[in-house]
This record gives sequence, structure tokens and C-alpha cells, in this order.
Amino acid sequence: MDALLPLAHGMAVALQPANLLYALIGVFLGTAVGVLPGIGPALTVALLLPVTYKLDPGGSLIMFAGIYYGGMYGGSTTAILINTPGESASMATALEGNKMAKAGRGGPALATAAIGSFVAGTIATLGLAFLAPWLVEIAVKFGPEDYFALMCLAFVTVSATFGDSPVRGLTSLFVGLVLGLIGIDKLTGQARLTFGVPELLDGVEVTTLAVGLFAVGEALYVASRRRHEPEQLEKVRGSLWMTREDWRRSWKPWLRGALFGFPIGALPAGGAEIPTFLSYAVERRLCQYPDEFGKGAIEGVAGPEAANNASAAGTLAPLLTLGLPTSATAAMMLAGFQQYGLNPGPLLFAERPDLVWGLIASLFIANGMLLVLNLPLVGLWVRLLAIPQPWLYAGILVFATMGTIAAKPSVVELTMLAAFGVLGFLMRRYDYPIAPVVVGLILGPVAESQLRRALSISLGDPMVLVQSPFAATLLALALLALIAPFVLKGLSRFRAEED
Amino acid sequence: MSTWSKAVIAILLAATVAVAGCAGEALAQNDLKIMAPAAPGGGWNQTARAMQQALVAEGLAKSVQVYNVTGAGGSVGIAQFVTTSKGDPHQLMVNGLVMVGALLANRSPVTLDQTTPIARLTAEALVIVVPASSSIKNAQELAAAVKADVAKVTWAGGSAGGVDHITAALFVEKAGGDPSKVNYIPFSGGGESLAAVLGGKVTAGISGWGEYEGQIKAGKLRAIGVTSAQRLPGNDTPTLREQGVDLVIANWRSVVAPPGITPEQRADLIALIERMAKSSAWLDLLKQKGWEDDLLAGDAFAAFLREEQTRVKAVLTSIGLIKP
Amino acid sequence: MTPDRRTLLRFDPAGLVVACLLLAVAAVIWWDTEALRITSVYGVGPKAIPYAIAAGLVLLAIGNLVIAVSGAAPARESIDPMAVLLILAGLAALIALIAFGGGFIPAAAILFAATSTAFGRRAPLTDLAIGAALGLVIFLLFDKVLTLALPEGPIERLL
Repeated sequence: MDALLPLAHGMAVALQPANLLYALIGVFLGTAVGVLPGIGPALTVALLLPVTYKLDPGGSLIMFAGIYYGGMYGGSTTAILINTPGESASMATALEGNKMAKAGRGGPALATAAIGSFVAGTIATLGLAFLAPWLVEIAVKFGPEDYFALMCLAFVTVSATFGDSPVRGLTSLFVGLVLGLIGIDKLTGQARLTFGVPELLDGVEVTTLAVGLFAVGEALYVASRRRHEPEQLEKVRGSLWMTREDWRRSWKPWLRGALFGFPIGALPAGGAEIPTFLSYAVERRLCQYPDEFGKGAIEGVAGPEAANNASAAGTLAPLLTLGLPTSATAAMMLAGFQQYGLNPGPLLFAERPDLVWGLIASLFIANGMLLVLNLPLVGLWVRLLAIPQPWLYAGILVFATMGTIAAKPSVVELTMLAAFGVLGFLMRRYDYPIAPVVVGLILGPVAESQLRRALSISLGDPMVLVQSPFAATLLALALLALIAPFVLKGLSRFRAEED
Repeated sequence: MSTWSKAVIAILLAATVAVAGCAGEALAQNDLKIMAPAAPGGGWNQTARAMQQALVAEGLAKSVQVYNVTGAGGSVGIAQFVTTSKGDPHQLMVNGLVMVGALLANRSPVTLDQTTPIARLTAEALVIVVPASSSIKNAQELAAAVKADVAKVTWAGGSAGGVDHITAALFVEKAGGDPSKVNYIPFSGGGESLAAVLGGKVTAGISGWGEYEGQIKAGKLRAIGVTSAQRLPGNDTPTLREQGVDLVIANWRSVVAPPGITPEQRADLIALIERMAKSSAWLDLLKQKGWEDDLLAGDAFAAFLREEQTRVKAVLTSIGLIKP
Repeated sequence: MTPDRRTLLRFDPAGLVVACLLLAVAAVIWWDTEALRITSVYGVGPKAIPYAIAAGLVLLAIGNLVIAVSGAAPARESIDPMAVLLILAGLAALIALIAFGGGFIPAAAILFAATSTAFGRRAPLTDLAIGAALGLVIFLLFDKVLTLALPEGPIERLL
């Protein structure tokens, strides 16, 4: 393998004591900032990037990798503990993770997230090291029609988050789709549903919606019910550590999550949300204890969290080989690389192998360091919940508003945050699921643009949507996922009648 | 206060100290504020940061603060700039050709006429590329394909009404096609269009030279023409003009001051920016980022700005993106 | 709730409100989309998807209505409206302070105190102080050290 030697060399550099220390500092800073509610990995990296400028290129690269992984993990921590995902990709983690935390199992939830992140991150970094050029060859063949098919598949899997009532779930999804219409139409440049407010022209920020619905909505909801359940959170009980049973139930979701995350993350328009929701849906289907889903099933944390981390490494494939930043975090990383004189593109692997392999080695080290730093800290993070409730939620709200101002300094944005908070509160109170709203906002605009791009290229011929083998396969899968539950239900009823 | 809230505050403080140790001392009192009306990472932001670096390095300003106001191709930024910074000679805003188009397409109530033009700083030539496997070899063949059936020639580039879109429409027009029928497929920024061209999903792609450079050198894309008046230095890609397509356009970036400043303040700012743009620190930064020096200051720039506004308005009307 | 009121309320009023809201949103989308003047030359234009979503909203309005009238209102615990209003007032104060140049630190202090009062603490002055301290730490950390522009008011300019 021609990749092994340069990788070994990169490892040798990264393993120097000073560089290990930089990795540790990076992971610590990344986790400390990422753990603040409302501040996702992209903002964390953006904020801490200047810190790395002071170091030599090798050290700064490795500290940067540490900040990146630390920020990702910090975001998951708040998602699990206080139901406040800092970004849309850790929303699926919040679904089961927060239920676990409320049941006093926050420790195992954080542990499975950390170990799952490590396992999936390692697999995906290996994939990046050995498969990136080959994977990208395939990824660029993905046309608008193929992305549209992928979105269709994603829409079907969202139903896994619907809860008991399909009508309520679909209502939530459509609220998200409506929010997705707001802003400039990407294909004709016209404003839709902006009512003359210039701040709305760029559309609704996913982070503002997610933080508003989850963090602000949760605070309002808990406050409104305080009289009924003065102490809503159960004290941490049992071990902070994962039991043998937890391990048994976690390892397969970790591996499956990595398999979803890495390839979809490597697609130029794949993103991190779709693999996390695919993973959530699949784990829910495959779980031996389907009743536990919605009440805190560990598979629902292990899978999506692994998928999230693997997709993050996946986004590095188009970034390094094509110079394509495919997510907000990747765009920040691109800015970081350029500071080190790395100009991502097809020639990078040939011209600067030392930097590329140095980076990949740094990712390995930072990933390991994440585990070293955060497993012992699980106990501390869990104790965050022991902060008296009034201060905990007051702090959450202060950080949530601060994160919103930081991402987009405007009063309109803060007003939207408050409005989404009220929406989240009302939806919780009247039993409408929340996650589908965010999913609708993310998937709706992408599905629309890709559909219209495909039809514009084909001059309006709808057959283009099924002619590519990728698209046909994905649509068939979507159809299967849509029909399968009904068929299975019918079969079991049929069997029951026979008995 | 419980033990754990103390612990949390301790962590915050520890982080403060740790970060402070790495990042050095805080910003000092400011002399000049530059608004980049776009998100961090984009061209305007980089221009603003480069100005900041050059101004401070050359000792032309005691300190310079750059801030970002994102939204709708600069429409949000300019609206804030002309109201809150009015009459303040310590404020500058970076802008460019993209903003001219965005303000028109968004029917913005605020226009660049309300600002005080200072200077054009840089320009980046655009390049038209086709996939390496395409049968089209040069600009004439592409023009012939457009003339044969304008609908079948699909173009990939950045946002609708942006500089790539304008270039595609001008190309169709010069090739003798109907610009309102141009089959232009906008992609999000950051080079999603690049993947579409590489994958052979579209006939041709348009972007700044820098964004496609790596793929052109690697032989995955064929550059069939640049939109500059002369060939770019150290680059043998022919211009469109020398291939008989009379199309010259550049994605220029400039800097403007708020309305309501005195003529003396305007003259001072023009002199300051001219000194910066001729300084070695600035020229080094241009070389490092691969930007072309295209300095045009004062009244000449004001006249240029008016011409570009007229031209862009005509093109966007011909595409049908704005109604006359 | 008395027995006869329960027989009167054979439907869930919340579902009725949701159905009306969905119809209203559908109407707004319809009206806004009608106003679009530019359509693509090729393929599907910018109006198709909004119309499809509006149609979907109408169907969902019917669906929610059916659910609302087919079952009795589920038991919902009464809420504490004061707590919700207090937090919303805190958010409104924060937005107003920032809009009129009051700065981040006092805004954070008021939001902090309002929220903790909503959660049942009865020490608004202490909480104002804690909120101000938190705001100060955030401001120093993010604005001064990490050069992130947070809203400035009279207090922040002194720092």
C-alpha cells in the first residue's frame, strides 16, 4: 500500500509529545466551547481557529483537528444532557439521548456517544486515507436526479421520528417545508414568503430553528409544567459507565452508523443530517427492543452519533480532493487549511503529501485524544444536570441567544429564535413531534432545487428522474421503506388470523 | 451556589485563561471599521481581512476592525451601512459586481448610488470550462452549439443573477442566441457547480479562474476561454475575445464609504486606500491569494460603477430576472 | 372539569385551531406564490412546489380536523402561564435592549433573572448579579479574546 508509508511518517510527527499536548488542548477547548448550548461545531471551529495561528504548521494542524472533534463531541453532550443540539446533525442524538439522560442514564449515553464517535471516526478516517480519490470519482457522477432520489429516501426515513400519529408527524414536517420556502428561490433568484423583510431573503437559518425549537421551547415547556413535576430529572443512578449489555447493544449501531455516515458525507451535497436520520430509522427497525425507542434506547444514540462523526470525516474527501466544502464546518476547515498554505484540490495529494498525511494522522490522534479526555469527564458533564434548575435553564437561554447573535448578528434573528421557541413549546404541549420540522427545513429546499435542476437539464423530461442507476436504486429503496411496514403489518395480521 | 455551578464557572474561567494565553492580548482601540457584507469565508470577507492586514502592517491605520453582516448578496449589509454609518468617515464597506446584481434582483430600496465610492481594488477573470471528455474544444464550437440550440447548452455556475449567470447570458447573446432562453443552472456557492461539470451533467461551467484552476491543471476540465481582455499572466488559455466572442467581464471588488461625509474626508479616504493599494504588503497579499491588482480610485471609479450598474441592469433584464 | 362540560367538548379544540392555522398558512403561500412573476424557461418553475405544499397543508388541515372531532380532548395538565410569560418577557427585554443599543451584558442579566424567577427562584437581585457576571464572562471570552462581535452598549464600551 503506497498510503501506509506516508501515513506512518505523519503519525511519527503527530506523536511527538508537544503535538500530543496541542491535540489535548485543542480537544479541551473544542469541547469547552462546543458544549455551550446553541454553539455548534462550525461556530466552535470559526471561533477557535485564530488560536491555532500562533503555532507552527504541524502543531496548529493537530490542534485544529482536536478543536474540530472536540466541538463535534461538545455539541452531542448538550444534545444528550439538556436536549439542546448545537447543530442539526446531533438532533437525532438528542431524540433518544435526552430520554436516556432523563431516565438517569446520561452516563452510558455520553459514553456510547464518545466511543461510537471514536470508532466511527477511526473507520471513516481510514476510509479517507485509502479510498478518498476513488470515492470522489463516484461522488461527482452523482447528478441532481440522484440527489433528488436520495432526498426521497431521506423523507421516508423521517417518518421514524413521527411518534404515534402520522397526521401529527406530517403536520410537523410540513411546517418545516413551509419554513424552507422562505427566502430567495435558488433557481430564479426571486423572493418567496419574505414579506419585504431583507433578513429573510437568505432563508431561515437551520441553527436558529433547531436552537429555538429545542432549547428555548424546552425551557418554556419545563417552566410551564414546573408545578406538576417540580423535579423532572431523575438523579443519575447506577453506573456512569456502560454495562456489558450496553456494549452488546452499541457495537453494531456504531459500525452501521459509520457505513451510513462516511459515503453520504463524501457526496458533494450529502451532508450530515441524512445519515444520522437514516441510522436512527434503521436502528429503530432493527432494534430487539423496539418498545424502548422513544423512551431512551441506547441504539438510538450509538448509531446516529457514529454516523455524525463518520460523515464529518466523509466531508473531508471532497474537501481534500476537489476543494469542495460541503458543510459549514467544512467551509471553516477550508479557511483553516488555506492558512497553512494547503490548497485543497486534485493536485494536493500529489504536491503536498506531507501535509495531507499529517492532517490525516492528526485526525487519528485527535480522535483518540477525544476519548482520553472525555471518558473521564463523562461524570463531570452528567453533573451539569445537578445545577439547580432555575440557573441551568437561565444559562441555557443566555447561551442560546448568544450563539444566535454570534452566527447572525441581527434583531430579526433573535425575534425568530423567540418565535420558534414559542412554536416548540406549543408543539410539545399539543403532542406534535419537533424533529420533523427541522428535517423539513433542511431537506425541502434541497429536494426542490435538485428536482428543478434535473428537470431543467433534461428540458422538462421527467424520465430523467429514473434513468440513472443510482436514482433508480435509491427510489426503489425509498418505495420499499415506505411499503415494507404495511406489508409486514399485513403479514403478521394474516398469520395471527391463521392461528 | 452549589458545588457544580462553581465547577462550571471554574471551567469557563479556565477556558478564558487558556484561550487568552494562546490568542494574545485583546484588540486595541479602533481607527477604522470595515464591513464585509457576507459570511466569513467568502471573497468580500477575504478582501476586508486583507485590507485590515495591509493597513495595519503599513502603519496606515492604528487598528482596523472587520465585521460581517450576512444576507442576500450584500442587500442586508448595505441597508445597514447607509443608515447606521451615515457621515462616519471611519467606516468602509467592501462590495463588488455581485452586489450590483443582487441589489437589482432583490429590488433593494438601497442602491450603491447612496454610498460614497472610494476605489476598485481587485478583479478576477472568469473562465468557461467544459468536461475533459466533451467534444467542444474552443469558444467558437461552444458558440456554434449555442446558436444551433440554445436550450441544449446547459451552464453551471453560482447563484441566479450573479456574475456567472451574467457571463453565460452575455456569451449566448454574443453567440447570436436569445439570452432569455439561456439554460443556466445555479448551484450553491463553494463549488457545487464544479462537481456538476466534472460529472458531465452540464455542457459548460463558469467560475472564477481560481476555483477551477486545480482541475484544469489536473486535466479533468478543459478551459475554453477566459473573460479578461488579455491572457492571464503565466497561463496560455486564450481569451474569449481573441476567439471572436467579444465578451470581457471581470468579477471586481471595491470599497465604498458611507453617505454624508465631507469632500475632504472623502479625499482623505481615497488617498489612504490608494496608498494601501500601492503598498508592498498589499501587493504581496494579492500575489498570495492569486488576485489581480485592478486599482481605480476616486471619480474614475465612480464613473465605472455607474457604467457597470447600467450594463448589469441591461443583462438581467434580457435574461428576464428583472422586469423593466 | 365538570361532567357536562366534557360531554359538550366532544372534540379537541386545539386540533380545530391547528386546522385553521394550517389553512391560513396555505392561503398565505397561495397569495405569495401568485405574486411571483418570473418562471423558469425549462423544467419546473418556482411556483410548483409552493402550490404543492399549500395543497398538502389543506389535506393536513382536514386530517387534523378529523382527529380533533373523532376523539375527545386528551387530558392535558394545566400550565403555569406566568412562568411562560416571564421567560417571554425576558426574551423580549433582551431583544429590545439589543435593538436599542443597551448591550449584551445587561440583556443577558435580565434574561437570566427572568428565567430563573420563572423557574421558581425568589431572589431576582442575586440572579441579576449572576446573570451580569455570566454575561461579562461571555463577553470577555468571546468578544475580546475570540473577536466575535457581540452587541455593545455603554457598559461594554468601557471594557
